[in-house]
Amino acid sequence: MNDQANTLILSNVTKSFDEFTAVNDLSLSVRAGRIFGLLGPNGAGKTTTIRMIVNITAPDSGRIELFGRKVTPELQDRIGYLPEERGLYKKMKVVDQLKFFGSLKNLTGKALNETIDRWLERVKLTEWKDKKATELSKGMQQKIQFIAAVMHDPDLIILDEPFSGLDPINVELLKEIILELKATQKTIIFSTHQMEVAEKICDDICLIKRSRKVLDGSIRQIKAGFGRNSVALRIEGDQSVLNNPALVAKMTEHSDETEVLLAEGANAQELLRHLVSAGATVTKFELVEPSLNDIFIIKSR
Amino acid sequence: MNKFLAVIRREYVERVRTKMFILMTILGPIMLAVFTVVPGLLFSIKTGGPTRIAIVDQTDRLAGRVSRVILDDDDEERSKANANNAAVAAEKAMNSNLQERAQNVGRTLKGNCEIEQVPSHGRALEDVQRELNARISREELDGYIVLPKDILTDGKAQYYGRNTGDVFTNGQLERRLSQAVREQRMADENISEERVRDLSRPVEMSIKPVNAKGEVGAEDNSGTNFIFVFVLGFLIYISIIMYGQLILAAVIEEKETRIAEILFSSVRSFTLMIGKLVGVSLVALTQLAIWGLAFAVFAVYGISMLKQSGVPFSLPSAPWYVVIYFFLFFLLGYYIYSTLYALVGSMVTTAQEGGQMAMPVLFLLMMGFYVSFIVIRSPNSSFAFWTSMIPFFSPIVMLVRIITQTPPFWQIALSLLIGFGTVVALVWLASRIYRIGMLMYGKRASIPEVMRWVRQS
Repeated sequence: MNDQANTLILSNVTKSFDEFTAVNDLSLSVRAGRIFGLLGPNGAGKTTTIRMIVNITAPDSGRIELFGRKVTPELQDRIGYLPEERGLYKKMKVVDQLKFFGSLKNLTGKALNETIDRWLERVKLTEWKDKKATELSKGMQQKIQFIAAVMHDPDLIILDEPFSGLDPINVELLKEIILELKATQKTIIFSTHQMEVAEKICDDICLIKRSRKVLDGSIRQIKAGFGRNSVALRIEGDQSVLNNPALVAKMTEHSDETEVLLAEGANAQELLRHLVSAGATVTKFELVEPSLNDIFIIKSR
Repeated sequence: MNKFLAVIRREYVERVRTKMFILMTILGPIMLAVFTVVPGLLFSIKTGGPTRIAIVDQTDRLAGRVSRVILDDDDEERSKANANNAAVAAEKAMNSNLQERAQNVGRTLKGNCEIEQVPSHGRALEDVQRELNARISREELDGYIVLPKDILTDGKAQYYGRNTGDVFTNGQLERRLSQAVREQRMADENISEERVRDLSRPVEMSIKPVNAKGEVGAEDNSGTNFIFVFVLGFLIYISIIMYGQLILAAVIEEKETRIAEILFSSVRSFTLMIGKLVGVSLVALTQLAIWGLAFAVFAVYGISMLKQSGVPFSLPSAPWYVVIYFFLFFLLGYYIYSTLYALVGSMVTTAQEGGQMAMPVLFLLMMGFYVSFIVIRSPNSSFAFWTSMIPFFSPIVMLVRIITQTPPFWQIALSLLIGFGTVVALVWLASRIYRIGMLMYGKRASIPEVMRWVRQS
């Protein structure tokens, strides 16, 4: 597959439940072999969009094209889906659950058993193979669910909030695996409301808010388009300048510094001048790239 | 197809493995035996010593006859009965009503009674009674019968006793007393008792069915058909409730564990639903097969053993086609009601809610059971025809018709066709509602939503 080919194209997709429109006229394309972040706050329509892609629900209007074809139930076997609402059969052994999920994706026999063993080892759960789901911690269950999503070697992997509830070690493990999958030319759609997480692993993103697309594109392009309009600050003394809306759009206090998003039309030099003339002592003043979170806030205003 | 088999396999294997299944399979027949045989045996057992009864005879000539009749076991029904009282009670308990049982128990009076005659010697009745009451309170006596002077004309006597709640003994005493008085009246009129007994022999009527071709079948004794129908109907009823609950739980399980969405991204909800129903039905059939086998073993070895030890026990014999129809209609009933349970499960979010919502299903099932009581008395009426075509009733009603008076084949086939057609339609509906229910985050699906989904798929 060449890098520019699209795995998935959504054109003017709309889906509503009664009066509530969950997804409104959404168009986006997901490039093959890349990690695509579907971002937005809770209730923005991420999960509904994904459900239409995996053919659990059908759009009211618009078109969804997957692997160059209109979505059909048969294409489901080429998708791996880790839903946000996920669980396991409580009283079933881990290995039996995986066998069941594997056979639902048309894996059989020896290949199925080998795949299960390989993945259990990869997520460090081999010794839990014959345990029941209720004996596993939530994080362990989540890794089993992850295996269920990727074990049939799908071309498109969709992960809805895959890191929620995982400890940092397992987050790292999962990230590692996701990057390995990307290296084998899998397309990965990654949905989250945590912008910081997405920023670190996504190549392309689509921001949606209240069922509409806010912006999309590669992270590099998006950030370049915004320029360096954030400042990392450490100051002592009078800080009242930072409350001036003509200069500062948003201010975030970190433990030892303050991050300031410049207002539109304002520039960093101007802010520095104002700070100095107000008598503040500036110990750090650094222009930084805006975070995705900042971009989202600006764009959704 | 592989996915379908995978769903069936999971449902089957996971359920057959459970302790509950193994326990039920073993305990089922034992419980059935316990519930049918034990009450009968219990009724026939009278604990403690014999009942000590005194007779206060104010006529001065009845006491001897009364005590003889009470102790006498040569009662008119007696001649037909078996020598072994316990065995009779056990056999009858399988298929008799309470009254019959009471009468059987009464036959054991002889071994359990001690009669004593209390001459009045010109004493006032009050004095005699005071003395007897005192003896009862000292537990030297259990009760006494007072035969007034005018008992032969008036027909009234009194029984005083510590335990007046033993209705079997009371009834029996009354009957024996009547007999004694009757015989005394005849003797007074110079009518030979033996002659009367001989002349009032009861009539025995043998009952034989005539089928549609005008052939007369074998003798149908003591309404075994009726009992057979009742037992089969009850068996279907119990199994359906049991396995319906299982289906309800299975459908809700995937919602509660939030597994449904993973499944729906791999398999169509219709396939999933059908797979579940078939999987659980195989569990039910496995259990029935095990029970059937146990029953067959019992039929071969157990009965001959019982017979050797003096317990007469006969099985109702069923023609082969009834067995096949039973099987078919059992499956039909199972599928119809499981699907209804699945439908309920697809609309609710928790098991508790499911239990409440399932009540109407239970009512429908009970209605079918009660309708069958009407049908059994007129199995060829148009009422019987129409109710046996309604899929929710047909599993029990049609079976009743087949056993009592087999209807034409086309009616049976039509009933099965309508039934299984309904099943497919219901599964189709349930699988769609299930999917909407899940997407709606616990909100119950409305009818317009169902309609839209039906159109979309």
